[in-house]
Amino acid sequence: MIGALVIVVYVATGLLALYGLVRTAQGRHPGRDIRIGVGIVEALLVVQAVIAAYRVLGGGVTLPEQGTFLIYLVVSICVLPIGMQFAVTEPTTRWGGAVVTVAAIGTGVAVWRLAELWAAANV
Amino acid sequence: MSDPSSRADHAPRPTSSGPGRVLIAVYAIFALSATARAAVQIATKFSEAPVAYLLSAFAGVVYILATIGLAGSGPGRRRLAWVAVGIELVGVLAVGTLTALDTADFPSDTVWSLYGRGYGFVPLVLPLVGLWWLRRTRGR
Repeated sequence: MIGALVIVVYVATGLLALYGLVRTAQGRHPGRDIRIGVGIVEALLVVQAVIAAYRVLGGGVTLPEQGTFLIYLVVSICVLPIGMQFAVTEPTTRWGGAVVTVAAIGTGVAVWRLAELWAAANV
Repeated sequence: MSDPSSRADHAPRPTSSGPGRVLIAVYAIFALSATARAAVQIATKFSEAPVAYLLSAFAGVVYILATIGLAGSGPGRRRLAWVAVGIELVGVLAVGTLTALDTADFPSDTVWSLYGRGYGFVPLVLPLVGLWWLRRTRGR
């Protein structure tokens, strides 16, 4: 899709997922640190989504399953902010970190599907 | 199963707190992905495999109802969660078995095909965890 950026996004979502687990294992409620982490990953995802959307809608790249691709693109940028909101609105428990982990894994899978759909058009 | 309506200190605990939030997050992601996938399939290529795509949509609705039930509070939402997660378990076992025996009728295109192998078998594990969590939090 955008080669190097996809790899960076995999690594970033993977690290975020691990960090969420560590937080839960430590028994600490996610705070500012996890907001920063989610913010960084989200910025990468938005850059990726803008580039991909531009290339599909305006740049002449034709995908066999364009509708599916665009839906996954939207999903890839929506899941983390919603997940984080859900994670931090419960003030008392350690489980917020694990919620962010689930959101990060979901996002990673969406990006993986995006890369697959992209590859189908550019073999 | 006794109705958990007795008062005092054996009241049911909310399903949406503690580890329940992690469970709800997983359910929400499945609700989103199954429903979106079914919507695209039905909109673009419904005639290719109508049964499989309708089944995908049904699975999506079940995940949505389970998410709503688990995320809410009160006996009504809890009952909704029991029913939705129960249907989910029956669905994944039935569709998984049918597709394992004979793949001809079902393209392996639904969440529940081959016990959810395409989704890392999470669709098989999820209802078991869901039922366990509902039981654990129900009070006496």
